[in-house]
Amino acid sequence: MTVRSLVRIVLAVLCAAFCNTAAFAQQVTIALGSEPTTLDPQVREDGSERAVNDNVYETLTARAPDGTLVPGLAAAMPALVDPITWEVKLRPGVRFHDGAPLDAAAVAYSIARVIDPKFKSEQASFFSTITGASKVDDLTVRIRTNGPDPIMAARLYWLKIVSPAHAATRQIATAPMGTGPYRFVSWNRGRDITLEANKDYWGEKPRVQKVNYRFVSEPGTRLAGLMAGEFDLITNLLPEFVERVPKAAHVQGLEHPIVILNADAGITKDVRVRKALNLAVDKKALAEGLFEGRAIVSPGQLLGSAHFGFNEKLSAWPYDPKQAKKLLEEAGAAGKKIQLVGTSGRWLKDREVIEAVAAYWQDVGLKVDVKIYEFSEYLNRLFDRNTRADAIFVVNSNEMMDADRSLSAYYKAGGVGASNTDAELARLIDSARTEVDTGKRRAMYHQAVQRAWDNAYFVWLLNIEDVYGTSKRLQWTPRVDGKILVKEMSFR
Amino acid sequence: MGRHLLSRLWHGLIVIFGVTVIVFVVTRMVGDPVAMMLPLEATAEQRSAFEHELGFDRPIAVQFGEFVAGAARLDFGDSLWQRRPAMEIVLEKLPATLLLTFLGIGLAIVLAIPIGIVAALRPGGGADQFTVSFSLAGLSIPQFWLGLILIYLFAVRLHWLPTSGTGTPAHVVLPMITMALPALARLVMTVRSAMIDELNQQYARTARAKGLSRFRVVGVHALRNALVPILTLAGWEVIRALAGYSVVVETVFAWPGLGLATMQAIERHDLILLQSVVFTVAALVVVTNIALDAIYQRVDPRMKLT
Repeated sequence: MTVRSLVRIVLAVLCAAFCNTAAFAQQVTIALGSEPTTLDPQVREDGSERAVNDNVYETLTARAPDGTLVPGLAAAMPALVDPITWEVKLRPGVRFHDGAPLDAAAVAYSIARVIDPKFKSEQASFFSTITGASKVDDLTVRIRTNGPDPIMAARLYWLKIVSPAHAATRQIATAPMGTGPYRFVSWNRGRDITLEANKDYWGEKPRVQKVNYRFVSEPGTRLAGLMAGEFDLITNLLPEFVERVPKAAHVQGLEHPIVILNADAGITKDVRVRKALNLAVDKKALAEGLFEGRAIVSPGQLLGSAHFGFNEKLSAWPYDPKQAKKLLEEAGAAGKKIQLVGTSGRWLKDREVIEAVAAYWQDVGLKVDVKIYEFSEYLNRLFDRNTRADAIFVVNSNEMMDADRSLSAYYKAGGVGASNTDAELARLIDSARTEVDTGKRRAMYHQAVQRAWDNAYFVWLLNIEDVYGTSKRLQWTPRVDGKILVKEMSFR
Repeated sequence: MGRHLLSRLWHGLIVIFGVTVIVFVVTRMVGDPVAMMLPLEATAEQRSAFEHELGFDRPIAVQFGEFVAGAARLDFGDSLWQRRPAMEIVLEKLPATLLLTFLGIGLAIVLAIPIGIVAALRPGGGADQFTVSFSLAGLSIPQFWLGLILIYLFAVRLHWLPTSGTGTPAHVVLPMITMALPALARLVMTVRSAMIDELNQQYARTARAKGLSRFRVVGVHALRNALVPILTLAGWEVIRALAGYSVVVETVFAWPGLGLATMQAIERHDLILLQSVVFTVAALVVVTNIALDAIYQRVDPRMKLT
């Protein structure tokens, strides 16, 4: 027997004793990019915490896989009783995992808890219009707002309903307990989180019996785990890895990289320059070259087609470097310097996109001064209301799926990242925020995004797809809202 | 000896205090944790309200006073990112890093001494040439890449070991090897040159001449004298791993240690957690140095201080 074969046998024996590579038949193993820091569903704004708790807790409204809002824990969609009060009827017979009934008191408590400033929830900005909630009867709740709030149904999709008795204990941070299709089993910090199917679930019974979450920050290691058969699903698959996974699942994502142009000062004050900056960039080449086709060219707005307010009449600015050069000449901007501010490592391929955009701008005759800052320093520039850089790269991700959040932040004069003082545009966005007539409201957004397009306030780049890697046996279609719902999974 | 130890401890305390104060000042000068915690689209009012709730809008002197008072009780406050006591997080993550460090560096020391000695016995010989080339390779391979290659080979291709994570002894094997290799390369070179030096000394030749066995000369007399530089480097390896270099291995293997937590704390500007980490690491470095001093005196009585 050679030494080599001896080593092999010893390792094989060790492996049989210790390895845990074979996935269990009815268990799905999901690798997340980081470990949740708390399992309290109302504290943090953290994708990993959501990935787990979206299966344990539920919300009053829900979304169909295509993004349409539907009733969740509510028996019907919320209804207005007066301009600033929404009434929600609850689905009868729903129980928390501890057997306590889901009632109006629990809903009112959950709302009061997350909006309390003392609670310091990172999610509070999603619910900034809500001033309070009260119980009408056991299955009816009224939610008050500080003004008409047409986005209520979309907001409620992000407000997880907790049990008041459970939330009163410290347990809520380590052992979540909701009404959802999966109940919590264990959390070994640093190692894994386990859930199991809730046999008493009020909805369709989940097919996957057990869920195991692992935390792997390095994308290469996540890929290796999938290839070795340890994981069934990995998140944030890099586009260049798509070819190597057993199966890739992708869906139109929520991330929209754009460049905010300063419409009030500097070289970009001239609308011809802003148009030229749009015309100069070959967005299709960016989608193909940097994202291997796992991105679409943004149709000239900071919204995806599943978002409320999306204007299907708009399309991307074409790639026309000749026209761009001409416009720059006319504006007397040829050969001038333009500053492009961005950050690196925050979003998928952020630096690569920024550098490619800068190269396209160079090609049409501008001198591009690229400034890549560390993220917190970058935020100082993005939020600086006094001096706006010529051009700021940002990636907007709008989970609310309603135009208000993105447009208020970036389109509306005075918004945290806006670089224009267009009063008419601001008026449109403000009135749409409180317009309760859905048709009128949609029309206002259509008008707003059209106006921004005409004035070329941004360089709209891409809409990046969410790409997941899965094992061969897993059957699952990813959702447009980015939630990973195990109840929608099954095995082949 | 007692007085010396006391003075070392005193100096150590000054170092720990100084480092912690520097971190306090630097983290408050660079960046705003609140801006990083809330969604990008949160309004300026929401940001300042949040800042107020966390107490970051108070005068820096007040914050510093509170910090010093807390530090004296080893209580640095709640981590901004995790919302639980920062020291609790550090103490939870530390064992994983200590385990990885001691296993990795331990393996390196255990292997380096025999390999280095064999190489030193006949400088320029076959074994020596092989050792030197191996060490150079070990020093040149990026640890990150080495980890991924090992995963690919032993986990993805051969299915002998798991790709990442913790829980069973099998999970430790690849991170330990990845941790050990660069340290092994450096240690081998040190053992080799220290042993060559010692074996060329007069006393080694005298010992051989008066009839001591080669094994005794090499293994007892020369090795004991060569131990001082070897220990210095080994101590440095331990300190280096504890002070942050373990982050590479921890990231690749999803090893839930302090390095990984520190990196995430930096990304999220979690000043409170960073202060606790820096404090703990500074304390560990001071303790390691004091321990090394004690070992030196054991190994080489000439170094004994009054």
